[in-house]
Amino acid sequence: MRVTSNTFPETLIQQLQLLSTRQNRLQTQTATGQRIQNPEDDPAAIQRILGLHTETAAARQYRANLDNLSERANVAFDALKALKKISDRAGELATLADDTRSDQELQTYATEVTQLIQQAVQILNQKHRGAYLFAGTRTDQPPFALTTDPDGRVTAVTYQGNAEVAAAPIDTGLNLAIDIPGANNTGTGPRGLVSDSRTGADFFAHLIDLQNRLLTGDTQGIANTVRPALLRDEEHLLTHIGNQSALIARIQTASDLAGKRILSLDQAVSREADADLAETLVRLNQVQTAYQAALQSGATILRLSLLDYLR
Amino acid sequence: MLGLFGSLNLGTRALQTQQLGVEVAGQNLANINNPAYARQKVALQTAPTLPTLIGPLGTGVEAIAIRQIRNAILDSQILNELGVGGYWNAQQSALQTGQAILGEQVDRQAQGLNKSSAVDQAGTVTGLAAELTGLFNAFRAVAAQPASLPERQVLVHQAQSLATRFNQIAGRLDDLTSQLNQSLQTDVTNVNQLLADIARLNDQIVNAELPLGGIANDLRDTRQQKLEELAKLLPVQTTLAPNGTVTVSLQGVTLVSDRNVLEQIETYDPGNGRLLLRTTGSATPLDPGSGSLAGTIQVRDGALAALRTDLDTLAAALITEVNNLHRTGYSLDGQTGTDFFTGTDARTIAVQPDLLADPARVQASNQPGAPGNNTIALALAELADQPIAALNNRTFSESYSQTVANLGLALRTANSQIADHQQVLNLLQGQRESISGVSLDEEMTDLVRFQKAYEASARFITTIDELLDTVLSLKR
Repeated sequence: MRVTSNTFPETLIQQLQLLSTRQNRLQTQTATGQRIQNPEDDPAAIQRILGLHTETAAARQYRANLDNLSERANVAFDALKALKKISDRAGELATLADDTRSDQELQTYATEVTQLIQQAVQILNQKHRGAYLFAGTRTDQPPFALTTDPDGRVTAVTYQGNAEVAAAPIDTGLNLAIDIPGANNTGTGPRGLVSDSRTGADFFAHLIDLQNRLLTGDTQGIANTVRPALLRDEEHLLTHIGNQSALIARIQTASDLAGKRILSLDQAVSREADADLAETLVRLNQVQTAYQAALQSGATILRLSLLDYLR
Repeated sequence: MLGLFGSLNLGTRALQTQQLGVEVAGQNLANINNPAYARQKVALQTAPTLPTLIGPLGTGVEAIAIRQIRNAILDSQILNELGVGGYWNAQQSALQTGQAILGEQVDRQAQGLNKSSAVDQAGTVTGLAAELTGLFNAFRAVAAQPASLPERQVLVHQAQSLATRFNQIAGRLDDLTSQLNQSLQTDVTNVNQLLADIARLNDQIVNAELPLGGIANDLRDTRQQKLEELAKLLPVQTTLAPNGTVTVSLQGVTLVSDRNVLEQIETYDPGNGRLLLRTTGSATPLDPGSGSLAGTIQVRDGALAALRTDLDTLAAALITEVNNLHRTGYSLDGQTGTDFFTGTDARTIAVQPDLLADPARVQASNQPGAPGNNTIALALAELADQPIAALNNRTFSESYSQTVANLGLALRTANSQIADHQQVLNLLQGQRESISGVSLDEEMTDLVRFQKAYEASARFITTIDELLDTVLSLKR
């Protein structure tokens, strides 16, 4: 092939441009640690990465939701424990109130029961992050309303919430309901906390009954009616406590799983997108050496011509 | 016998011829860096011989032509290849802009924003995909805490951010389309200018070549350069006429013949704002198939139009699906029937202003007076994983990532085509350079060669002069 004066510079420019492009690409890969950045780099991989990203973001949100649920479940669990203490004390009082007690003592017990009812209402009316915990989905109003007579005795505790609970999304297509409605006498749906027609539990009614019988000194009635009813209420409450512990454990497991899933998704994205740094650096080195060699040899060749030897 | 005076003439001719050789070498050296230039050579021939008894007697040398060293086949191959380059370069630059407009980039180092807000973002991908995922995450967050205002606040702002992103992308793509239309118009002006230049050069070539014969090398070089500029824009066919003019035609329509431009190219609007091409004498649209004009039309009506349609379809499906669910829900203050999004496509999508003003009006519940009810929010969150009929039974994210991949694929094709084209063009230009390029070494050698021959011819004349002196001194 005939080589002309412009062949060298043209070829040199082409080679230098090619090497510069490669250097630029390898340098970007080294600096970002990524094999691909833009859709043009690897359209199929970008499509997979977008899918993985959607999954990762969703998994992170599910984990955030689980954190929320865990917090709320723990608050509810503390409330259940406090309620259990009230139930225990009410049972004690029902047992203590026998024929050997004086009217005065029974009156004192009755006052304590009144206090217990008020305390229970207070516990059940607690809010978490601005929403009532035990009102079903009517979270904007206190679930239990207390009615008292002029003497301060409780005459009724009415449930104002509903029997519906919301299930929060914790994974694709999986929702978890952790809330407990204060009462459910509809015969379907989630068990009510203090009152449920299916088990016959009605904690407040039975406490009010105990209070009233203590006031009238009906110890026989307490022993025959109230004590068994309070026992049923306690069993009902224990079931709830058991469920709630299991629920908290389940949330924890789901949260751990979500964490692992996020990690494995991140590894998958890494496999698609990340550059092998060792390989990239070695190749960058090679290209840089070639670039230097091209510059040096080019400079030598371009300087020489027949003119140097003609006088 | 020539006789002494005849020999003197022979010497003079030789001097003139060698001088011409030096001049041509000088012309070659002067044009060494002119890319349009093809090297020239003096064609030498022995001058007519005189018949004598002892055989034909030479009368020296004469220059018969200054020839251009060119390969017509290579020239036409380069014309074709330039058209291919123009086609893909036009596509590449428009698609690169499209890719930048879409803004989907993987940035793995942007991670670490975990748990920084109510709505979790992965932070590895930027662009519409992240906004879309963000919207559904915001629905999931509201579903987890339906009564909480901060989650609703994040939701409406995330939705607004998504809508703005849709608007921006659509707006920029529309701008890109009108820029491509403008570049079509500019290119068409250039085409017509080049056609006029070629006709003018045809005229000059005929004027230069006809009276004296010979070849107007430098004018032909310039014409070839103009033809190559034209080939980048339009895939024209050229034929060389016997009188030295070149006929330029496009898909059977003659544009330049002899010294005249017969037809020009013009743009016209077929009614949809997407300019097309036709010749001035015909109403049928031209489909050049190669060259940057064809590339611009192809990318505008192909990949970019598909991208724009995909975005509109996605936005429309999102608006419909979200609104259909949201409309049936109840807000924290018991209102119902409000749409979540307004607008109909990517350009017009926006969040209902009422919701932006008061996030409590997001209708997350399916019954009034139950702020803790999340049925609608849950259904909205589940939209993320549902195949949507309007999107060919793909989910929103799948449909969008397909759109991104399609654009990436189109750009990747353009990139690899350009790489191929560059290889071929380099090869062809290398071949042409090898045939037509000026070599400094050759020209310097020629210069020495002609200089020495000139010196020798001068010495010959001196010798004849001395012989004449000898003859004249005989009679003293």
